[in-house]
Amino acid sequence: MTAKSRTSRAFQGGKTIRPGGIYWMRYVIPALVFYVVFMAYPMLDSIRLSLYEGTAGTRTYVGLANYVRLFTDEVVSKRFWNAFFNNWIFFAYHMILQNALGITFAAILTNRTMRGRQFYQTLIFIPCTVAVLVTGYLFKIMMNPQWSKAPLEAVKLGFLVHSPSGWLGDPGTALSAVSLVSVWQWVGIPTMMFVAAFQGIDDDLIEAASIEGANAWQQFTRIRIPLIIPVIGMVAIMTFVANFNAFDVVFAMETLDGAPDYSTDLIGTLFYRYGVAGQHPVGIPEPGVGSAISTSIFAMLLCGVIPTLVKTQGKE
Amino acid sequence: MAKEKKTRSLRIMNMHIPYHIIMILWSFIAAFPLYFLIINTFKVKKEIYTNFFGLPKKWTLENYQALFANSDFFVYFRNSFLVVVISLFMILLLGSLAAFALAHWRTRFSRAVYFFFVIGMMLPIKIATIRLLQIMKALNTLNTLFSLYPVYIAMGLPTAVFILTEFVHGLPGELYEAAYMDGAGRFKIWYKIVIPLIRPALATVAIYNLVPIWNDLWFPLIFITKESSKTVLLAVTRLQGQYTTDWPKVLTVLTMSALPVIALYLTMSKSFIKGLTAGAVKG
Amino acid sequence: MKKLLAIALAALMALLPVMSLAEGELTMGSWRTDDTEQVNALLAKYEELTGVKIVFQPTTSTQYNATLRQQLDGGIGPDLFYSRTYTTGAELYENGFNVVCNDIPGVKENFTETALDGFTAADGNIFAIPFAAVSHFVYYNKQIFADNGIEVPATFEEFLAVCEKLKAAGITPLSNGIAANWDILECVLCGMVPNYITAEERVAYEKGEKKLNDETWVKIYSDFAKLVPYLPEAFASIDNDQANVMFGLGQSAMLIDGSWSYGTLNGDDYDIDVGFFPVPAPEGNAPGFSLHPDFGIAGNAASAHPEEVKAFLAWLASVDGAKITAEVIPEGFLPLINADVAPEGSIIAEMNAQGEGKNADRRFVWNMMALYTPIVEQLNAICRGEQTPEGAADAVNAVWEAELAK
Repeated sequence: MTAKSRTSRAFQGGKTIRPGGIYWMRYVIPALVFYVVFMAYPMLDSIRLSLYEGTAGTRTYVGLANYVRLFTDEVVSKRFWNAFFNNWIFFAYHMILQNALGITFAAILTNRTMRGRQFYQTLIFIPCTVAVLVTGYLFKIMMNPQWSKAPLEAVKLGFLVHSPSGWLGDPGTALSAVSLVSVWQWVGIPTMMFVAAFQGIDDDLIEAASIEGANAWQQFTRIRIPLIIPVIGMVAIMTFVANFNAFDVVFAMETLDGAPDYSTDLIGTLFYRYGVAGQHPVGIPEPGVGSAISTSIFAMLLCGVIPTLVKTQGKE
Repeated sequence: MAKEKKTRSLRIMNMHIPYHIIMILWSFIAAFPLYFLIINTFKVKKEIYTNFFGLPKKWTLENYQALFANSDFFVYFRNSFLVVVISLFMILLLGSLAAFALAHWRTRFSRAVYFFFVIGMMLPIKIATIRLLQIMKALNTLNTLFSLYPVYIAMGLPTAVFILTEFVHGLPGELYEAAYMDGAGRFKIWYKIVIPLIRPALATVAIYNLVPIWNDLWFPLIFITKESSKTVLLAVTRLQGQYTTDWPKVLTVLTMSALPVIALYLTMSKSFIKGLTAGAVKG
Repeated sequence: MKKLLAIALAALMALLPVMSLAEGELTMGSWRTDDTEQVNALLAKYEELTGVKIVFQPTTSTQYNATLRQQLDGGIGPDLFYSRTYTTGAELYENGFNVVCNDIPGVKENFTETALDGFTAADGNIFAIPFAAVSHFVYYNKQIFADNGIEVPATFEEFLAVCEKLKAAGITPLSNGIAANWDILECVLCGMVPNYITAEERVAYEKGEKKLNDETWVKIYSDFAKLVPYLPEAFASIDNDQANVMFGLGQSAMLIDGSWSYGTLNGDDYDIDVGFFPVPAPEGNAPGFSLHPDFGIAGNAASAHPEEVKAFLAWLASVDGAKITAEVIPEGFLPLINADVAPEGSIIAEMNAQGEGKNADRRFVWNMMALYTPIVEQLNAICRGEQTPEGAADAVNAVWEAELAK
């Protein structure tokens, strides 16, 4: 049963073709050049900034002072840990809800005998195409009792309104509201990846299982899921990484400060506030602190990504 | 009789009624804000607030007229389109070449290269803006679309390498084996066998990068001030004032701006269908 | 895909010739996309007079600071750019990006010390030509006031009585909210403060000679707290844009906002009849007037056209230039030049008249920027009923004492 599963052992292990690194480098170098010049070098170079203070004309070397500030300064560290904690909640919504929905939809949409798959898949994807600026604006109106309370109560949907403050105005609910909107908008992406993964599964396996009497649920949990573990790991990593860089959705629905009361402040907004734009209204950024924030998060992401990679990828 | 019953139940099973119920439910959830988006592009600002949920009391085409009257918007759309198409093509080309190599060349060094690519997903690219600006200035590409392509290509490569390597690695090895036995070179294997087989993955990568590139505001905002090189999102900022924003027009432009993305999505998702049929034949 | 690429490349090649920079054109960066029409008119006038063409290139205001900085840093900044006042504007100068304006003809003659104050760096150099000031008003719906027999209140107590009367009549008195996190401080609180604190006293607070939790401040916060019941029910979700819309649609009787909003509120978007008055002073206090230098125009020190840049700045600093500017400047932006340039009967003149004979001062927090965020936090907490006026004053004072101790 595993003979035809995901392995290219014969190809890479067989004596027939196994050229050396110099050969394969020819395939890698074009990508590597673009990546190094326009991304890796500028970014890794910016990590260096975390050891400096001040902006362009007034930059001075300060050693680890930015990190010390980030973790010990009363205000900065409070903001950092708050954003850090919020970001885990934001991530949990995506990891659990969005990816579960994605897998479910993908499993449904890869039934060959089902009609309208393309239609459903397109509809799921359409919210991704709308600029975050616009979804933010729409949901702000829809969730604001000032505009939505009367019309929704008129059609007996009053329970959707969180009165009087509104879902986005209540520090207790704002983060969930923002996360759910983000899940709604982006669920098309994991769905698409899982669809691609499920399609890669050999039909013979499913057929064999159904002949053996496995029902749809058993086929799903015992065959299809285990076979796409690498893709699940991949999606998990991408969700993790993307969520800790998320910024737009908060910017569009709340403010750069993560209003109300910093309850929707994420690492992405915190970084933008400190490192790029500077706190309103002064607007003088501290690239050093910004860089220290992203370097610290980078280290944390590495700690999460490496074990996941090892666990789910390249198992042979 | 028994046989007939069986086919009927099979037919009913193949209708997948519970699945349709789930999908229809979600379709409503996915579509309702879009419905509000579209109906509100036919309203004036006042009515958006007084009658957000309802159909326009008085349909106005003013917002669309304003958009089409401004011939610049065609330039912006063309620019956005060029940026997306060229960047995606390069991402897929370079990414699939690298992935092909990294999936088959398994040494400590190649793992390191692979990991080096993956790292690129973990830092916010904004942090590198000033360096990129200096590079673009040195290359003399500022104020042209050529200042955007390399950034977007580089931005897309980590996910491309990450996803594609995984998928190439999952391909059944005996397919190559056979082709190789027949005397095909590895480059030929790449474009004759690997590329068609990883079509769904290529589409995934393309679509995954499509949206952020199309909707990126940050780099155009800094690199481009010339009208003839502006992208759609950049042009929209003109409608956003310091204190007031012309929301009906913003909604209109961005509704229109979603259309090319949907078109590109549909084009690329055809690969899914092809992947499906290929699978069916194979099965 | 290949076909697509071929088409795309062909199109791109066709485009290339279009992209050439016109020689001798200057550029002007700005965060006010709102003013494109007006500034273009101004620049057209200037071109008519001098033959120098300046292209206005506004960008989105929320990203202006960040993008301008990157562009200046990368050596591709615009030749002229809108400059913020005080710390923010000065910081760009300290990085060497601004043309020093000390010797621009007219600067020293046509502007008062007060006007120049917001554009003077710590070393005494002037980093931009003062352009416009803003004030903060209570806008009111004349129709609603007339229908309910309400007069413009003269004191803060009367103002509260007006609010109470409106609320009793089932009308939302004020449409202000806290979702945007800036207008509650910049427009509402900063609109109130000059009624309690003179410019001299402000300086004493800045220096730490007076405490920010003294009686005056507790009174300011408690007067602020008295406004909270008159905000809309959903104030926590209402941002500045929505507050304007509510007032514009007649869903509230009043709105405390910046002078800049007059143009939109009185414009084609809405059908209301708008009046305005400064937030009234409490009984016994001399009424003040908030007049805040909002922005200037700076020259880029690295410009390829240094002479043209200086000539334009000199024109802005001249009375003739300021007169033309005052004619096209958007409603609600008050010229800073020390000459009577406001056209007779204009809104600018009317707004200036509201401040006549009053103790004018800028937003008090602008020299104590470390307090900006803490005060916004405290105001939010007061609105949500989680903080007392005393508690807010103590918290703000503690931040400033720590800042002074540094």
